[in-house]
Amino acid sequence: MKTYIKHIGIFIVLMLVVQTSCDDGFSELNTDPQSATAINPNFQFTWVQLRTSGGRYENWRAALIYSSTMIQHFATNCTYWNGDKYSYNGGYNSSLFDRAYTESVRDMQDLIFTLESGAAGDQTMLGIARIWRVLIFSRITDLYGDIPYSEAGKALKEGIDFPKYDRQEDIYMDMLKELEEGVAQITNDGGFGNADLLYNGDPEKWKRFGNSLMLRLAMRLSEVDPGTAQAWVAKAISGGVMNSNGDDAFIQHSDGPDGWNRNGIGEVLDNTLGTDDCPRMSKTMIDWLVDNGDPRLDVVAVIPDSVSTHNGMPNGLDEITLPLNPTGTSRGHFDRINNDLVRMSSPMMFMTYAEAEFLKAEAAVRGWGAGNAEEHYNAGVRAAMHLYAHWDASFDIPDGDIDSYLANNPFDSGNAMSQIGWQYWMVTLLNEYEAYSNYRRTGVPELVPVMHEDNENTTNGQIPSRLAYPTSELGFEQFDAALSQQGMGNDPTVWMAVPVWWDK
Amino acid sequence: MRYNNSDIMLFCKSLVKTNQLTTSMKKQTILLLMGILCSASLLAQRTIEGTITSPEGDPLIGVNIIEKGSTNGTISDIDGNYSLRVSDGAIITMSYTGYEDIEFNVNEVSTFSITMSEGALLDEVVVTALGIERKSKALPYSVTQLEGRDMAVAKEINVGNALAGKVAGVNVSKPSTGPGGSTNIVIRGNGNIASSNQPLVVLDGVPINTDNLGSAGMWGGQDWGDGLSSVNADDIESYSILKGNTAAALYGSRADNGVILITTKKGTKRKGIGISFNSNIQYESILNNNDFQNTYGHGNNGLKPADAATALQFGLSSWGAQLDGSMVPQFDGEPRSYSDQGDNISKYYETGRTFTNSLAFTGGDENYNFRFSVTNLDNKGINPNSGVNRKTFSTNTSGTFGKWRASVAGSFVNDDTKNRPNLSDSPGNANYTVFSLPPSIDVTTLRGTNDKQGAGDDQREYQFNDNVFVTNPYWAAYQFENNNVKDRLFGNITIGYEILEGLTLQGKVGMDRFNERRRSLTPYGTAFNQNGGLYEANNTVREINLETTLRYLKNVNENIGLDILVGGNQQKNRGEIIGINGNTFNVPFLHSIRNAANQSTDYQYNARQINSVFGQVEVSLMNQLYITATGRNDWFSALTKPNGETSNNSIFYPSIGLSYDLAGASLGLPDFIDLGKVRAAYAQVGGSTDPYNLSLTYGIFGQGHLNNPLGGVTSNSVPADDLKPSTNTEFEFGFDVRLFKGRANLDLAVYDRTTEDAILPAAISSTSGFGTRVVNVGEVTNKGVEVLLNFTPIRSKDLNWDVSLNYSHNSNKVVSLLTPEADGERLRQQESRTRNAFIELVEGEAYSQVVGVVYQRNEDGSIFLDDNGLPAGDTLRSFGSGVHPNTIGLNNKFSYGNLTLGFLIDMKTGGVIYNATNAYGTFRGLHKNTLEGREGDPIGTQNYHQKVAFNISEEFIDDASFAKLREIVIGYRLPADMINSLPFESATLSFAARNLFTLWQKTDNIDPESTYTAQNGQGLEMFGVPVTRTYGLNLNVQF
Repeated sequence: MKTYIKHIGIFIVLMLVVQTSCDDGFSELNTDPQSATAINPNFQFTWVQLRTSGGRYENWRAALIYSSTMIQHFATNCTYWNGDKYSYNGGYNSSLFDRAYTESVRDMQDLIFTLESGAAGDQTMLGIARIWRVLIFSRITDLYGDIPYSEAGKALKEGIDFPKYDRQEDIYMDMLKELEEGVAQITNDGGFGNADLLYNGDPEKWKRFGNSLMLRLAMRLSEVDPGTAQAWVAKAISGGVMNSNGDDAFIQHSDGPDGWNRNGIGEVLDNTLGTDDCPRMSKTMIDWLVDNGDPRLDVVAVIPDSVSTHNGMPNGLDEITLPLNPTGTSRGHFDRINNDLVRMSSPMMFMTYAEAEFLKAEAAVRGWGAGNAEEHYNAGVRAAMHLYAHWDASFDIPDGDIDSYLANNPFDSGNAMSQIGWQYWMVTLLNEYEAYSNYRRTGVPELVPVMHEDNENTTNGQIPSRLAYPTSELGFEQFDAALSQQGMGNDPTVWMAVPVWWDK
Repeated sequence: MRYNNSDIMLFCKSLVKTNQLTTSMKKQTILLLMGILCSASLLAQRTIEGTITSPEGDPLIGVNIIEKGSTNGTISDIDGNYSLRVSDGAIITMSYTGYEDIEFNVNEVSTFSITMSEGALLDEVVVTALGIERKSKALPYSVTQLEGRDMAVAKEINVGNALAGKVAGVNVSKPSTGPGGSTNIVIRGNGNIASSNQPLVVLDGVPINTDNLGSAGMWGGQDWGDGLSSVNADDIESYSILKGNTAAALYGSRADNGVILITTKKGTKRKGIGISFNSNIQYESILNNNDFQNTYGHGNNGLKPADAATALQFGLSSWGAQLDGSMVPQFDGEPRSYSDQGDNISKYYETGRTFTNSLAFTGGDENYNFRFSVTNLDNKGINPNSGVNRKTFSTNTSGTFGKWRASVAGSFVNDDTKNRPNLSDSPGNANYTVFSLPPSIDVTTLRGTNDKQGAGDDQREYQFNDNVFVTNPYWAAYQFENNNVKDRLFGNITIGYEILEGLTLQGKVGMDRFNERRRSLTPYGTAFNQNGGLYEANNTVREINLETTLRYLKNVNENIGLDILVGGNQQKNRGEIIGINGNTFNVPFLHSIRNAANQSTDYQYNARQINSVFGQVEVSLMNQLYITATGRNDWFSALTKPNGETSNNSIFYPSIGLSYDLAGASLGLPDFIDLGKVRAAYAQVGGSTDPYNLSLTYGIFGQGHLNNPLGGVTSNSVPADDLKPSTNTEFEFGFDVRLFKGRANLDLAVYDRTTEDAILPAAISSTSGFGTRVVNVGEVTNKGVEVLLNFTPIRSKDLNWDVSLNYSHNSNKVVSLLTPEADGERLRQQESRTRNAFIELVEGEAYSQVVGVVYQRNEDGSIFLDDNGLPAGDTLRSFGSGVHPNTIGLNNKFSYGNLTLGFLIDMKTGGVIYNATNAYGTFRGLHKNTLEGREGDPIGTQNYHQKVAFNISEEFIDDASFAKLREIVIGYRLPADMINSLPFESATLSFAARNLFTLWQKTDNIDPESTYTAQNGQGLEMFGVPVTRTYGLNLNVQF
């Protein structure tokens, strides 16, 4: 027996020797050789900017299918374009919410943690990042109301797996504060340089963008809290907002190689790819452009082969009513958007100088001491006419045409709010989230809602007041609390009818 | 060679004596030796000779034939022939493992050709963990062994699917994914919340990769096959299924779902080279369950389309008018008769066929044997332009050289699958379209306008409806490509050395390596992607196992036996995918990656390793009581922190088992009880996770954007700070009773298994920035009972009838999910494309609950209707598990002369399925339920059903219980006198069929076995490849 034990003993020793000698790299094996453990803030900021512009998924659903048709930029008879008739589709409704948190918010928070900790980067970067974070969250809260904000995107660094939903009112106050502090942090030192797809690291442009965003968000409170709105509008304007089309905040996309390089709207609408042929320019838009002799008409809309004049598609048509429609009985009879505006390599707009001028014009009309309303209005119109030069120089409207447009459609102080609202609506074509939010605040343009059996159980003939949260949040305690604090029930199909806080 | 007679007697006696307590494998070998040495030596007065065959007529090789009371004997040869000189009036006994002993007086019998009948398998030897052969009587756990030959006749392309219904406690479901698809095997219930629940497959002692290479989800996709899909049924000798943890404990962490041990065929001692040829052809056709309406045609709101544009728009809507034979425009503008165009399903799908030919050469002598085989399997699927070709080259060679023993076994497999069908969601899914067409549209009109299948004059997709995402089925079948070619090499080299008597050292190197070359094409001109796209990839997977064992067998005295094993194993896995994505072809229809305007790369890599030491001790007492204990310790690289911090990366798991034969004990049990074994066992095994779960890393996208590099958090999961291995603990109790010389056997097992601390990405609110957090959570229990009843009602010289019934019930419960304190937690596993039916884990309920929206109801229970007469969805509810808790298999085998008949009835009950075919059929006005009320109120009826279709899932939950005639085999063996005139040793012709009839089902329009994935989260159906029946012939010839 002794010899056997010896044999076994030798064997076990041998085995352990073999095992340990083969063990080189056992603990290193669990390091992914394809990934980095830390990252250059530049790389991550470019990434966040692209993810904010978004993918095909949410641009198709939240921006195009819902927002663009609800505010009658586009119209369609396709049944799955639910926004045209305000019917409910859960996944389409929640698409921006679904994507934003796990794409732009996640890396934004991670980058801000890095910058705040001082592990990398500088104060200018932090200021810029805080401004960009406000843009990301403002789009989510404007579409959905109360949202996770103060605790959002912090699962990794703070272990918060189920963030609380903050009230929109609180979110707005914090966002305005963040913009103020963010702008103040920006100096001429540091920044993201060329990695900044918006301004190539230009600190002055970032300050003006931060203040312009402050102006936009402050004005959003004009109905619910005019006092606060006025104070922040004044602060924004005095801080210095965008002052030329060179300040326009947009990202230049490219046609690949990957999905994230592409303009998400372009991925849907570029007709050389034939992806989605549903939308046509809305009759509301084409009629407005035609009625005012707007020189942008031929830039944005393309006359279909089958007819000889611009022809917008009425909203609310379906397979029964379209064949009976006097102005055109099939989609082929209506204007498409100019394909050169919706290519995969097209720029994606976040905010423009024209908008800033229109907001100032509105402030002036409201008597919030922002100079001359007409001057701002005219400056806004001029900027808006030049906007399409960002896509292609040939789309620029000659100044002479703009002069005659303004001559034919002069500023009318008695109808200023409507005029400003229509122009704002026009200049935010393809920035559908903003177009939709500003419409809800102002009620301009004076759109005729679609009455259709599809919306009897959703908004009952009213243009929706928000998009519906993802139903996947149902059952989370924090979410149920958010529903009740907004007076909402468990039935997602009627959520779209409930106004957000600032929408009075 | 001359021996003194008494010397030989002495030698033979001593052989018998020393052999008494050794294992049965050794016993056989020694008996064989004894036979050879002892046979020729004794005086005899007459010679008896004949052939010994099994009830099936196969020759029995190596039967011990002994003259009773002497050491005179022989064994039968390769043809079952024997010849023995015996004294007049001698009593002859014949014995053979697995058969009943035969005893006769030579003077009372006229023919010495004997058919032995299968008997009580008291000394049955089964293959257990690490390939150790053990007496079934000694085992403290349940093991089921199956013969490979049955499954080589009634073939399945994926051998895993051929196990359906055959083993108690083994739930096999074949997904509806086409011929190259995967299999879903779950032993004793699902316990793993996140990781796979499929068993480890060990081929000739070495684990092989069984990963699923891709399956369909809610957005569509294809089943890219799994590890078992390249195993060749013709090479398999036997399957041994280790069900419980105790059985599998020696395999450690990978065996927490049980183990399937596959042993390939070996060569045998014989004269010359044996040649075996097997030819099998199986035809395949749809088991068509579809019963959609054929009285209303395409159109909308009760109206026929007025023009081509409307016809195109409603190319997928059957809400038109009643079919009246009038001429009505169709999508192409062509007016055609508005009438029922016949069964589009049978027009579109083809008859599949699978041709399998295999040729094997075998040979050997006392010290050396070999087998070499070549198999070609050629399949044409029921989906046009699809199929599988698989070529297998296998060898199994072993030899003994003194104290050394060596063997080499392995296969090279070339697996070429053409056009794996798209499943679930519509893009590129021909099944979706064919099952959605209005009855007034003839599917063959979608072939297109020219020779290019599914294309119009512009060579682009011939669109028949205005939804670009619903693809023309011919375009999907002939222009899309989902091809892969897999070159796989697996096998092992084993060397053993007997250090001392009873002490053997063995080393084994096993490898499984494959290259999978994949091509997925969305062709230029596809409606939803006009410029096309292409993915080309090479996937390399490699697993290497190095194993060393030391085994010691010793009989301490005549009552106590010892079997001790210690060993170590090192397992290394590596996977790498190199892929190129291309989009937008510059030159139209040139489907080359270099022609793509946008090219991007895909690179994935992972590596992990498990180091282990293990040991097993079996003590046998009085040949009646057996105690087995095992222990194994695993160290996981995937649980090792990369920065070298201490981590919980190892786990030790023990097992202990006891088996006691009551019949052998002197308890005065009646004689007709051959065996009365009781057994009990306890075991624990642990589990690991995927690599790189322990720390956050940033993905880098070097190609960047406009010259700016990109990088960000690419994981959707928050990494865990600290993870420990999951554990899986099982108690098993059973008894095994064998009566009346093996004519009745009952094997019963009861088990209770608890799976805890699963490592899973638990869903957190996506607003946290991540979808999931990796945690150790949860507890799932599986409690069940397994019954195997074998019974031989008739056993006679001519007619044999064997009945085998297996039954199992598994009671599964998800005890806790994320936090132990919280109740009512849920975890989503799958979602239907209709987005209102889900597969979820729900606390307190069984695994994989099918969850959906119920009708809003009035107080009296009737369906609530709003002012417009429309129903409304209410809350989510669990409708039951997508996994059947009950499985029953009834196998009958008859043999009469040269004829055999076997059939298997497979029944499963208790599971439910979400029937998306019906949801879409309802939305589109195809389901017969949509007929009522159409004449009076077409618009209202349409609105009602369209509201129901995607808002209320309750309507489409079906009971998925079924009973099927799973398998039938009728064999005819050419009689000996016919064979004699032919150059064969034997020839058998069989008719084999699978899934011939469904005896009982409750699903409507679909087969109850229609899930489109083989992964966790069973219970969703949606436009998979229709379930088929196969039937054909098998010819087996031995030269």
